[in-house]
Amino acid sequence: MKNKIHLVGNAHLDPIWLWRWQEGCGEVLQTFRSAVDRIKEYKGFVFTCSSASYYKWVEEIDPALFEEIRKLVKKGKWVPVNGWWVQPDCNMPDAESFARQALYSQLYYYEKFGTICKTGYNVDSFGHSAMLPQFLNQGGMKCYVMMRPDKNENKEMPENLFWWDSADGSRVLTYRIPTGYGESGINAINKAVEVMEDRAEKSGHGMMLFYGVGNHGGGPTKGDIEHLINLMDDEGYEHLEFSSPDDFFSDICAGQLDVPEWKDELQHHASGCYSATSLVKQLNRKAENWLKSAEKWNTVAASVSDLPAATKSFGDAWKEVCFNQFHDIFCGCSIMEAYDDVRDSMGYAMHIAAKEENKALLKLAGYVDTWLDGVSDSKTCNERHHCRNLDFPRPVIVFNPLSFEVETPVRTYHPSSRVVDCDGNDVLFQNVRSSRSNDSHLDTEFIVKLPAFGYATYWLWHADSDVGVYKMPVSDLKLDGFTAENEFIRVTFNETNGSISNIVNKADGKEYIGGETCIPTVVDNSEPDTWAHNIFRFDKVIAPMQFKSIEVVENGAARIVIRVKHIYNNSYLTQDFILSSGSKILRVKCKANWQEALTILKMPVTVSGSNPISTYEIPGGIIKRPCNGEEEPALTWGDVTADGKGISVISDSKYSYDCTGNTLRLTLIRNSIFADHYSDRPAADFNYTDEGVNRFEYALYPHSGNAENSDIQKIASLFNNRPVAVPVGYHKGTEPQKKSFISISKPNVSLLSFKFCEDGSGDWILRLAETEGKAVKCAIVCDLIDAGFYADFRKFEIKTFRINKDGYVRWTNFLEGIPE
Amino acid sequence: MIKPYKLKDHICRFCKMFSLDDPSVPKALFETEAVKPDLKGFPYPLPSKKSQYSCSARTGNIDWYGASNGLTRYDASAEREEDKVMFFSAPRDLLDNNIKALLPEGDNLWVLTESGVTRIEMRLVGAEEKADILRDESEKYVDRRGMKSQKHLREGRNLDSILPYGHSDNDGCFTATYAMGEIFRYAVYKREKGIDHPDTILAKKYATRASEATLLLMHISGRGDGFVARTYLCPDEPVPDDGIFFRKNGDTAVCLETTCSKEWGCVGAEIYCGAEIPERLSKLYTDLGYSHDGIVYKADTSSDEISTHFLFFKFVHDLLGCDDPELDEIVISTCKRLMNHIIDNGYILRDFTGKATSWAKWNEEYFSSDFGYVDACLNSSEVLMYHLVTMDITGEQGKWRESYEHLINDKHYDDYAAKHFNRLFQASISMEFDFQEDIMYGDHMLACVSYLGLCLLEKDEVRLEKYRNGFRSWRTSLEREHNPGYDLPFKIACPDDEIDFEALATWFYRTNASRLAAGVSLDTRHDIAVQTLMAGNKEISVLLPPDERFISKYDRNPVALVNEDSGGIMCVESAYVYGYAYWMGRYYGFFE
Repeated sequence: MKNKIHLVGNAHLDPIWLWRWQEGCGEVLQTFRSAVDRIKEYKGFVFTCSSASYYKWVEEIDPALFEEIRKLVKKGKWVPVNGWWVQPDCNMPDAESFARQALYSQLYYYEKFGTICKTGYNVDSFGHSAMLPQFLNQGGMKCYVMMRPDKNENKEMPENLFWWDSADGSRVLTYRIPTGYGESGINAINKAVEVMEDRAEKSGHGMMLFYGVGNHGGGPTKGDIEHLINLMDDEGYEHLEFSSPDDFFSDICAGQLDVPEWKDELQHHASGCYSATSLVKQLNRKAENWLKSAEKWNTVAASVSDLPAATKSFGDAWKEVCFNQFHDIFCGCSIMEAYDDVRDSMGYAMHIAAKEENKALLKLAGYVDTWLDGVSDSKTCNERHHCRNLDFPRPVIVFNPLSFEVETPVRTYHPSSRVVDCDGNDVLFQNVRSSRSNDSHLDTEFIVKLPAFGYATYWLWHADSDVGVYKMPVSDLKLDGFTAENEFIRVTFNETNGSISNIVNKADGKEYIGGETCIPTVVDNSEPDTWAHNIFRFDKVIAPMQFKSIEVVENGAARIVIRVKHIYNNSYLTQDFILSSGSKILRVKCKANWQEALTILKMPVTVSGSNPISTYEIPGGIIKRPCNGEEEPALTWGDVTADGKGISVISDSKYSYDCTGNTLRLTLIRNSIFADHYSDRPAADFNYTDEGVNRFEYALYPHSGNAENSDIQKIASLFNNRPVAVPVGYHKGTEPQKKSFISISKPNVSLLSFKFCEDGSGDWILRLAETEGKAVKCAIVCDLIDAGFYADFRKFEIKTFRINKDGYVRWTNFLEGIPE
Repeated sequence: MIKPYKLKDHICRFCKMFSLDDPSVPKALFETEAVKPDLKGFPYPLPSKKSQYSCSARTGNIDWYGASNGLTRYDASAEREEDKVMFFSAPRDLLDNNIKALLPEGDNLWVLTESGVTRIEMRLVGAEEKADILRDESEKYVDRRGMKSQKHLREGRNLDSILPYGHSDNDGCFTATYAMGEIFRYAVYKREKGIDHPDTILAKKYATRASEATLLLMHISGRGDGFVARTYLCPDEPVPDDGIFFRKNGDTAVCLETTCSKEWGCVGAEIYCGAEIPERLSKLYTDLGYSHDGIVYKADTSSDEISTHFLFFKFVHDLLGCDDPELDEIVISTCKRLMNHIIDNGYILRDFTGKATSWAKWNEEYFSSDFGYVDACLNSSEVLMYHLVTMDITGEQGKWRESYEHLINDKHYDDYAAKHFNRLFQASISMEFDFQEDIMYGDHMLACVSYLGLCLLEKDEVRLEKYRNGFRSWRTSLEREHNPGYDLPFKIACPDDEIDFEALATWFYRTNASRLAAGVSLDTRHDIAVQTLMAGNKEISVLLPPDERFISKYDRNPVALVNEDSGGIMCVESAYVYGYAYWMGRYYGFFE
């Protein structure tokens, strides 16, 4: 008896690609209507469809159709798959994003259909990061369907069916589609049947054949379905069966199945997708971080005050972010107009974050006792916009959203003459050039030490105040020519080309630079399409940018700034290298005006030593990859380490690197034609993905030992989540001037999310993750909600806890224990 | 060469219960004023909700907080994090959880609860000293003609109420493991103290007795064909209604009436039992005045017994047999007979029915069945291990080698090993369980003895790597336990792999110095999170130290929320759990 071929009728729906979302929405409605009609017409036909956001569209616009679908789901004729909001890119969303993809989608499915999706399904996504099995498991899915990379792009990966394990121990039974996700037409279907029969025989297990018009929707046509029915009626085709991925996996698991294991990521398909269209990448990073911080603060404030929980608003915002993580959007390969929509949508999400964060922080600040006796009697400053008391310092409460203590510079928008902490200790500060031309032109940058997920109050004397004689702490900063140093690092610039010639890590006294570092390099991008299909290395260097100038811009107690400018044709890049007191990183603030069509701008960093190892942050984990020059996706940092000396390159908005030998290159700009799918590029006034002004930051972090044993995760997290300084007034309060809202006993466990449960119960949700790849037992104490508990974490394990009003804790998953 | 981990002396809890009217309870306990502790900003998770704490006391530098759901001990200066906050709960440590008053007495504490009084003493105990205490308890209370699994009590927590009888379904498995622990002890003492040292002589005595008891189970049926009994009872012991039992009389044994035997339709079935039992072994009951007649043995033996017996063969031969040739001869002949039984019967343990027992099947037919599909990975490794042990201790190849090569070359038994986790996981998906719910915890021990034996004895690098991969395939579930009885064999078998010695140290430090079974109160703890798995089983978020979780043998889920004492709370358990792990660790140089 032949192994079964499961015929999966589906429609691949790109809500945005070569069209805008409005057209995508229409395509969903038409496809769903068509699928319902086909189900009614053909007995046995089953339709499979992913993406909760599509169902939501239908529910809102055509409730009658939605009701029909609900009934068909109950009958098993319509099978929702992939408990995520869309089929996202699976390399760039961070772990919390994947949690939200599952949370909002599976709860939606549960509410509307009484069940959640069992099967993950990202058939078009361009690569799959190594921790995806955990994200799927935690979202209630144990099986997975994917297609890319195909056999030619990755020959090592198992074919057909395999166990895919992530480092935390999660696993999904994974089906790799060998043909396509949308076979349609007699010839295509016949050919696919032959392929599947052959594979079913050789593999010894059943296979799935995906049929139905896709990309712009459509689904199985009458012709497709009738052809398959005829085929099934023929002798010798009894093994063909209308089915769904859920039924396929149930069937296959009920039998005896020995399939290979795979414990790595699934790459590469479209290596250019992690650098194409910087705008969407920057918006995503910013939105993810802002929403996480804002929701944490809203949760704290709503727990201690009358501020309402904004769970619904955050849900609305996250759904926008989740939608924009759709693979053709986030990967930068849609049409230009689509990114106008993305900008608006992300702006909406971030405005929610901004409003809720502001309300929460001001609410919390109001409880802090900042009263100073006599303050209401003294004279005020006459400076425009900064009306204040000159006889007293002004309180500024600095909030840290991260779950570990931080020491970092923060800024307020006025100059100061003295800064003290809440214990009365003077702290380092510096009046630095502001972005305005008004008034003093100066802001205050001062070095704060903040408790874990908490706040500390600092007192800033206005620049016009008479603060008398006082002793500012001795700064560790020194500048000698173009050599800047602090307690941790010494960095020297080459005056002739603006590069970094030396970095000494003072922890071991060793020189870390082994070659070309921080010389922006222009690379040819004329051959690759927007995705860079079939191209895995961006290694055709045109030229380094031409050195223009180097100057010391600031040299103070809190920071040194050295500005380097490079030019290339009609473009320039300005880099402000900022070394702050007490900082382990060299921060680089960049402004590029880029006008070069079909080019890539890369920033190389070369470490000295032999046996280089490259390491990257990926969603929910860390991965090591060969130093072979292939373009690699990563989240906030990449790292190259040789002989125990490592340099991490941290970024605030980029997602793509390569590493050849000892040289790691961050891809800063990739200027491609929008949605150029190996077209013949007919003559036109093309628009390019990254043309114009690009503002972004990166940083260098030299460290001894391997990346995973350094503080890179915390440092990169801080680089991407800066504390918020909130100037406040003088008032009595019940809360101390410094406070932490959580204590996590292990440095490698970090707080991803602190929110209210989606079911409106008022229960709190704490999501924590192990970040360094080391199993650990951790104690978590949160007095705010009278909770304290222990948890074991496997390496890179994410755990979600639900805490009720009595402080009792349930260990749940991304779905918060809502589906029973 | 691994640097031995130094196990230090460590505090251990000793709790003694009193009735409210016991004259030895100090009156001051009843008069002491309850001082509610101020726990605002307490830096660690607390087992009780802060509002539940109603009284407090201080002994030396230690703070004690009494709550309505148990007692908390706080040592701010404790070296190890898990020792900073300890929890004491009923019925293990307290008569009930509602703490009314606390009274320090030097370093000790009197605890008044709703229904009685407990005196808690925290005493420094060395790891070896704990092994001695536990062994002495087992020898005094648990021993049943050399067998060491458990003994039942008339009254919970009261060792003085011990019943003279009591058996376990797996007496053979637990006794063999106890024997291995004491054999390792003997080998360590012999190496470190010399063969004539009194401690060595005593260790040999205990190791020998447990070994004889284990071997006796391989002869007690009198079938003479290598059949192994689960356990046996003397005529005056009650026969429990939980399996298949035969009473011997002359040369014939008759199947007794039990629920199971009625279901099987075999009540009154007869089988030969006249084969000779080595006198040295039968003395275990004849010296007590019993004869062969009237002895009741339990059939339907599982692979639990057979697997532990074979690893036992290896160590009793290597470490004890060399100093006891008579015993060694019995070991070798018994091993050969059992191996012959398995091979000659087509890789099963053949029961009186002429068919395989329920759980001792190592043949392809079983492996291709729905149930055996998952079991195949373990069972194939078990039977390969039996062959290697047999060849090793007999010094013979012949039939054993031929069979071993047949299983590998023709049946590919060595290829099953690494598939274990995949098949377990697949089964869990098909049943819509979480894989944790599909773990058979007793199999952990069987996997460890099988792969330890295989990896110690296989010299072919290709096969050895397959066996190591087989062991690795169990790590996902083994790692949940941090049980040195599992992790040390793994480290011996796979020396390049990492294990967490700190977690093992916690296990040794925090194992109670008594195997008196009694539950703990987990469901009201405020410092653990509870997870409900797909099939409804509940687990906690952290592996608690052994003295804060239920007492069990090596066969229960240690992160289960419910108390899973494997022998029930009316019993005292065997010390094999500690002795096997500790003395193996000492013998292989993992611990000082």
